[in-house]
Amino acid sequence: MSLEPLLESKRIFICAGTGGVGKTSVSAAIGLGAAQRGRRVLVLTIDPSRRLAEALGIQKNTPKPIPLSVSDARAVGIVPPGSLAVWVLDPRRVSDETVRRLAPSPESAERMMANPIYQQVTNLIAGMQEYTAMEALHGFVQEGRYDIVVLDTPPSRNALNFLEAPRRLKESSDSRLLDLILPREGGKKGTTRRFVERVLSAVFGEEFFGDLQVFFRAFRGLFAQLNGHAQAMRVRLAEPDVAFILVGVGGEQSLAQAHDFEERIRELGLPLEAIVFNRSLVPLARRPFLDPGELSRDHPSVHQRALGKLHALARKEAREIDRACAEADALADRSDVPVVTVPEMGSGVDDLTGLAAVADWLFRGEARDHPAAQDQEPSPNGARQAPSQAPGTPPLRIANPVS
Amino acid sequence: MPTQPLDSAAAARTFEQRSLSGLQQLFARRVVLVTGKGGVGRTTVAAALARLGAEQGRRVLLAEFEEPSSLRTSPLAGQFGEDVFPDVPRLVGENIWGVTLHVVKGTELFLTSLFRVAALARLALRTAPLRRMLHSGPSFHEMGVLYHLLHHLKATRPDKEWVYDLVILDMPATGHTLALTDLPRVLLRLVSRGPIARAMREGQSFMNDPDQAVACVVTLPEPLPVSECLELLEGLAETDVHVGAVLANRLPHNPFTEEEQAALETILEGREVRGQALLDRIRRTDAALARLGKSIGVPLILVGEVDDGPVSEGVVDALRADLRKDAPPGGLPAEPEHPGDVEDATAADPPRPSNVTPLPVRTLEPAEGAHGGVPPRERP
Repeated sequence: MSLEPLLESKRIFICAGTGGVGKTSVSAAIGLGAAQRGRRVLVLTIDPSRRLAEALGIQKNTPKPIPLSVSDARAVGIVPPGSLAVWVLDPRRVSDETVRRLAPSPESAERMMANPIYQQVTNLIAGMQEYTAMEALHGFVQEGRYDIVVLDTPPSRNALNFLEAPRRLKESSDSRLLDLILPREGGKKGTTRRFVERVLSAVFGEEFFGDLQVFFRAFRGLFAQLNGHAQAMRVRLAEPDVAFILVGVGGEQSLAQAHDFEERIRELGLPLEAIVFNRSLVPLARRPFLDPGELSRDHPSVHQRALGKLHALARKEAREIDRACAEADALADRSDVPVVTVPEMGSGVDDLTGLAAVADWLFRGEARDHPAAQDQEPSPNGARQAPSQAPGTPPLRIANPVS
Repeated sequence: MPTQPLDSAAAARTFEQRSLSGLQQLFARRVVLVTGKGGVGRTTVAAALARLGAEQGRRVLLAEFEEPSSLRTSPLAGQFGEDVFPDVPRLVGENIWGVTLHVVKGTELFLTSLFRVAALARLALRTAPLRRMLHSGPSFHEMGVLYHLLHHLKATRPDKEWVYDLVILDMPATGHTLALTDLPRVLLRLVSRGPIARAMREGQSFMNDPDQAVACVVTLPEPLPVSECLELLEGLAETDVHVGAVLANRLPHNPFTEEEQAALETILEGREVRGQALLDRIRRTDAALARLGKSIGVPLILVGEVDDGPVSEGVVDALRADLRKDAPPGGLPAEPEHPGDVEDATAADPPRPSNVTPLPVRTLEPAEGAHGGVPPRERP
């Protein structure tokens, strides 16, 4: 299974998943792989780890996407027309830009942004961060400078938060809600209104409630527009050039969450196109067992002791691999979209070489059931981490102590 | 970590705390915020801390934060055989009450404290627009949730004792944790008087007082999680939350002596065989622990990987050892015992240190803080 076929028809890739599954790395690797295949790619990410950001040569709070340097790009096999740029979305900056674009005049935009509530509360309204990500995504696709835009969704414990953002945004810009906070000009106050106003004054204090009213009055029109855009965006995300990619790892809890996500995404009519099973132990199943007897004659006892213990470690590893295989099979059986496996990369994927290795797994695909048929061709970037023995490795006697 | 202020009281406290193990540090407080990146086992650790606190005879409130989305079950409640915790604390184990901190409930409690009439508060909350506003207005959600927490933090019994004398918080993902811990400061910049300001100041009096509340940052002994842990420590320091300990979770058992490890390096040169992935993990663990020890400046709690059986029990066992442990002289951890073979590890009766290489002893900075090593117990 591979993401390669998706490159033909998809322009927007949205990586979703819970925290800690390697979503940011997978997003970057999808971008890198697509760029290696000649696409002009932009990766929008929210909160990359410092090391990953350094590896990509990006910084937070830049006003524009930063392209990968020519030498870095060439080193991982990205050559024109392919290109890779990364932008760390700063919610404040995107939200400022949204205000500037949507405000009726530059003066009114400045006034809105000077509002103390706007300035202090970064995640201004629920769903705003997710929304701004979608907005930026849409803007870049429209602009046409990139063939493919990959979005790394904001971190959350729950993969579903991103999908619910438009609904939450709609609620906060609900005109009935605003009517409640804002006194209608010259209007007559109903009993409910008076009651609610009393509650709100008591809750916020007269002073702060006044500030809130000023805030909502200034942003009212903007909210209505945002709401309209969010609805349009929902429709946009259901179009055929969009691919949602669910990123998950092994383990009962993670798989249950993946299941929830799949169901939810279908309910919403959004196009789930692939599941990336990240940090999988499955590819390790190809490695041979080392026979502890192999070195018995010529080696000192410390080697034998060490090998004995490695043997025990291998058995433990085998149990983990078996469990991973069973999980992967169950996942593949259940899902009607491709499940793409990315192996555990050991030291963590925080440099370009690591990302290129992940990209290979994502786009070259590995037929897990037929290890013999595996594609041994070296990748254009030479960064491939072959799952099987490296060439030139002395043959080993294979003993499977598990069976 | 920020350097401690130079007043003598703080210096004395620092000195005292240095002689405590990581878990003793946490349990010397009333409030423990269990935090860390996703996937590091935060929830399991929170549940284990609650169980252990209850075992010590404390009345434990185990709280988690309501998620805006519609997950049907909560992993934390699942550890106690429940689907979700209710919004009013419920006894879920001996001496453990589980609760979900909830914006509507928090606001109801807040309004009740203002109007003195619960029925009026509930009536106000029955208006749909107000409820919607709470879910989506600027920071209203966090405000409600924090007030719900505050309500339980300050609850006292008729005899003036705290209703809950240990409060364990299973915090949300990193970004949301910082949004929550930073909220009182942000709001106080906007509103200096009135009920909200009062509540926020009261909240700060609990949450930003290092004698009352500390964070336990959970991480994994791998390069990326350690980087993220260090970033989180910086973020917490910026929001004035004090860190009591870092907990390195799921440490792999290391059966090799240094000599054997060196031998394996020559044997395995250029090969990829079974067992090597776990061997690599053990090596990364050493490096990760060394890095943590150098950088964190607070005790490090080590929890070994639990192979089988109910996970939380394994973690409770590991933590229990850290709690019982005598303070190491001068903050130095005891020399780990020598390892046996992996084969007999399952039969091991004296619990062995999870990390057999003597590395942590040398690299965990005693000058910066005491270090708590936890011998894991392999479960049969």
